[in-house]
Amino acid sequence: MVNYPEIDRYSALDSPMHRFDPRAKIIAFLILIFAVVLLPDLKLAFIGFIGAVLFLIASKLPLRFALQHIKWVFLFVVPFIVIMPFTVDGTEIFSFYGLTMTYEGLEYGILVAVRAISAVILVLPMIATTRFDITIKALDRLKMPNMLVQMFMFTYRYIFVFVVEFQRTWRAMVARGFKLKTSLYALKTIGKALGMLFVRSYERGDRVYQALRSRGYTGSPRTLVEFQMHASDYIWAILIIGFAVSLYVIPFAGVS
Amino acid sequence: MREAITVKNLSYKYPDGTKALENVNMEVQEGERIVIVGPNGAGKTTFMLHLNGTLHGTEGQIEIFGKSVDKMKRAEIVKEVGMVFQDPDDQLFMPTLFDDIAFGPINLGLKEDEVRERVAKAISSLGLSGFEDRAPHHLSFGEKKKASLAAVMAMEPRILVLDEPTANLDPYSRTELIGILNDLNEREGITMVIATHDVNAIPELADRIYALNRTIIETGTPREIFSNGELLEHNKLDVPDVFKLFEVLRCFGFGCEKLPLSLDDAVSGITKVIETEGGHIHLHIHEHTHTEVRKWKDKYGHH
Repeated sequence: MVNYPEIDRYSALDSPMHRFDPRAKIIAFLILIFAVVLLPDLKLAFIGFIGAVLFLIASKLPLRFALQHIKWVFLFVVPFIVIMPFTVDGTEIFSFYGLTMTYEGLEYGILVAVRAISAVILVLPMIATTRFDITIKALDRLKMPNMLVQMFMFTYRYIFVFVVEFQRTWRAMVARGFKLKTSLYALKTIGKALGMLFVRSYERGDRVYQALRSRGYTGSPRTLVEFQMHASDYIWAILIIGFAVSLYVIPFAGVS
Repeated sequence: MREAITVKNLSYKYPDGTKALENVNMEVQEGERIVIVGPNGAGKTTFMLHLNGTLHGTEGQIEIFGKSVDKMKRAEIVKEVGMVFQDPDDQLFMPTLFDDIAFGPINLGLKEDEVRERVAKAISSLGLSGFEDRAPHHLSFGEKKKASLAAVMAMEPRILVLDEPTANLDPYSRTELIGILNDLNEREGITMVIATHDVNAIPELADRIYALNRTIIETGTPREIFSNGELLEHNKLDVPDVFKLFEVLRCFGFGCEKLPLSLDDAVSGITKVIETEGGHIHLHIHEHTHTEVRKWKDKYGHH
């Protein structure tokens, strides 16, 4: 069995996030993600982070699955925490051979990291709780340009075919004694294998297009799907968007 | 009977100038099952892509139920001619099985409840119930193959064109698929054009065979084609195993009148011989047996 990189692996679970109407879910979480990403203050960002974690818990997605996805973003933001304290001017914490670490820098670095990680955490209850094809259909119903919807749809369909195809090529290489090393030869070989994958994808594209045309494809395929908003969907949407708004209202209410 | 497909003097050159098809002629009656045989690279797939107007010949013309394909609208051709491609991954391009089967009917402009009806019918007639929400990468090859057929059948075409329908299937799925195709032909009178290398399936699938190697070399019933030794040899074609076995038995003196093409044929053939020869069959080894067996081996290149 192939280990597919499926974002919707746990879409069959049952949780409030899973039952949430996909269209409302996308809109509400997108608003919250933008709200969190644009927060100017570290304390607020932490509140956003806690909120994100709560939504993740509400989605009942396994922690390991969640960490797997968060890990990559974490690796990406670590440099900010390391570099920012030494590059932003402000109150000195300590000085080390001419390198000055500042309080403001540290705060800014952490702010960037917390916002990014919160955003990624929020993507999980948004995307991973719905079958991906339904997410695509929801985007279509939300009037996303059809061309983009099609790109999503075909990418989602064929990414798995290409995964299997590359795996097959890889096994064939290993079966004939190829070892992954940091040598020019190994890199060249991988380059060629990837090149072949591109050529094959191109040829497959041709055949898929013929198959599309053979079934009356004219450029804008439609799908059938029924979405229905229930009271609970409105409540969740209001809750999530309300949380996003409150992140901006709190400072004025004098809580901060 | 009406003519479902008429191909007249069809020629096709690839963009680089290589001739893929030359002066191909074919006539298919409504409800007929046609098998196209030919070695790899003979132009079978290229030819079939002409039948629904995906490719256009550089010369010649094709008529579907008397109408020229060049003059038909895309939607019109697609409604008449259903095409099942060799690789189901090329054909199943939608995220779920339901979406894929619904794709064609939606493009035909059917209403939503009609689309759902057609999908349900196609799914149940191919035994795919319960797979509606599956993504294609979670289906086995055999299921994908049946799904491609269901996706085409949901458009209710009167002509079905299939490229290597039995290739890569396990024996059970292969038998099942052959049964499904024959069932569709019998019950709904669907005309079929099938390209295949699966010689053992041909007697079950073909009313008539066209041997293609860039041009039509020969046409005839399976028996006529399989009995034409010279044709087979020149075009690297093979015959069903049962047929070969009974050719061997003939060398050993088995006196059947017609060589059987399928196992069913073989059973009735053997029964007949036993009845006429008084309750048993008689095989022997004479001088000439060895030479005849050697000749038989040479014929098929088994050295």
